[in-house]
Amino acid sequence: MTTNTMPTTKQPVGKLAGRAPGFRKHFSRNRFLYAMLVPVAIYLILFKYAPMAGEIIAFKNYRLSDGIWGSSWVGFGQFEKLFASRDFYVVLRNTLLLNLYHLVFAFPVPIILAILLNEVRAEWYKRTLQNLLYIPHFISWVALGSIVIALLSPSTGFVNSLLKAFGIEPIYFMADKFWWPVSFIVSGIWKEAGFGTILYLAAMSAIDPTLYEAAKIDGASKRRQIWHVTLPGIRSTIAILLILQVGKMMDVGFEQVYTLRNDAVTSVAEVISTFVYTRGLVNLQYSYTTALGLFQSLIALILIVSVNRIIKAMGERGLW
Amino acid sequence: MVTMAKHKGGPSASARRSRRGSLARWLNNLLLALCAYATLFPFVNVIATSLSSSRAINAGEVFMWPVELNFDAYHNLIRDGQLIVAMQNTVLITVVGTALNMLFTIMAAYPLSKARLKGRGLMLMAILFTMLFSGGLIPNFLLVNSLGLVNTYWALWLPALISAYNMFVMKAFLEGLPEELEESASIDGAGEFTILTRIILPLSKPVIAALTLFYAVGWWNSYMNVLIYIRSTNKMSLMVKLYQMIDLVSSELLRGEGVTQAVITPESIRAAAVVFAILPILCVYPFLQKHFIKGVLLGSVKG
Repeated sequence: MTTNTMPTTKQPVGKLAGRAPGFRKHFSRNRFLYAMLVPVAIYLILFKYAPMAGEIIAFKNYRLSDGIWGSSWVGFGQFEKLFASRDFYVVLRNTLLLNLYHLVFAFPVPIILAILLNEVRAEWYKRTLQNLLYIPHFISWVALGSIVIALLSPSTGFVNSLLKAFGIEPIYFMADKFWWPVSFIVSGIWKEAGFGTILYLAAMSAIDPTLYEAAKIDGASKRRQIWHVTLPGIRSTIAILLILQVGKMMDVGFEQVYTLRNDAVTSVAEVISTFVYTRGLVNLQYSYTTALGLFQSLIALILIVSVNRIIKAMGERGLW
Repeated sequence: MVTMAKHKGGPSASARRSRRGSLARWLNNLLLALCAYATLFPFVNVIATSLSSSRAINAGEVFMWPVELNFDAYHNLIRDGQLIVAMQNTVLITVVGTALNMLFTIMAAYPLSKARLKGRGLMLMAILFTMLFSGGLIPNFLLVNSLGLVNTYWALWLPALISAYNMFVMKAFLEGLPEELEESASIDGAGEFTILTRIILPLSKPVIAALTLFYAVGWWNSYMNVLIYIRSTNKMSLMVKLYQMIDLVSSELLRGEGVTQAVITPESIRAAAVVFAILPILCVYPFLQKHFIKGVLLGSVKG
């Protein structure tokens, strides 16, 4: 706005004097555009910003019968209760651990897969592989979770039949505290690794082919070409996706956990989103779980803003 | 002399390298084929399971092909009818939800793609902020509840009218259209509405196709919001119905006891239900995949 007014101040007074009618003219000429934004603004205020204001119930003892205004204030009481409970540390630990495992084991997979795909010469073969690898991304967690549970079933599942063929005792993958997170991460890779290659492949196709030529003339092996040309070429894509991933550290998607978890593994599988759902909506502890939700959103906000800043300081293009 | 030696060694070394290179390429192709196989195998297995006899399933014989082929699981599902009702509900949720999404996404993205609009920066900030911070599950629920929308599909549609991310994708696309188009049309006397519907939207077909698909897949797979807001059994979506079926049998599976008494095990029925839920997507996918990919790339342009 200020940059807009700067040049006009330099111009003759006539323009300044005609400012108000100019605005009216601008408005009437563009009234269709402004009219379109009215419902959008109402939507944002009602369904996006009003719930943010609704977070104040984290500082109250909310009861449906009293309403938001009628409920009594408790200050930080809900947070004190939260931080004093063992449940809080369990769900926080599980949330962070599952995200950490994801970052270490799942995040690099699409990068590796994209590098392999990028080396495929035959265009039709590459295209076919890509299209097949993308499929799980479009299937819901409920269906995928159900398939995972069936495949890993100790009695009839395919994986355990295979183990049996090698003389290994059946493993209760979904009921074991070690194997459940493993199954969780692997199923996440199954769903998203293929689709995750799209952005990397796009970045790779933008790499100047003469760089590869030059590397080849210098006698660089394929491995060195990947290291010195391909990887630097997708560096900013990796950076951006890394920010987004770290920004999600406090959040494990509800649907994946909810479909894969069961009572035997609650101690490793209960995460913030499922805890808020069961305690908040099933057990009606509204204020208590809102306090947890608010804690989660604030940490997530701090995380993404600071990671964005770090990435920018490193000379990469940030998110905003 | 040194260069001479290098030249002499050249051909044989490069031949060795290219032979090693072609072996590496062959291994790479094979490895990727195995990845694709591993990705698809679970789907093939679930389809095979849905068509196999309970004896074969319990004996762990089903691999990629139905064993003792029969359609009993599907007959049962269709006779039961609940899944059909759920599927009809999901179609309704998807069609109306996607239409509303597109309408509102265009209504937000088109004006906001015009640099001349006053207050545009503020509005864009307000939308960006919703991507970074949100009101959370409980306040959202209380809002929807106080509006009296619980157990109606409006509780699903209204809070999700615009995906901020998709709105930014659309806006970036519209900003890429040449401005002269609009100028020349307005000189010809076309109103804003005509310009939007006759000129801008037809040119935006790629982004409209991509976003429609993203929204539609989202609605088809919608689960958590239905779980939260919909109470009546006859209004349930396909995915919630499917989850209830898994939940009923998963405890048995965990204990490792196949249900052997029943003629048709819950497992084959569940497999059939999964096939029911994923088949529509698998069927349309080959025809629409290029739009999906285009959509992702459109989004990455302005990140």
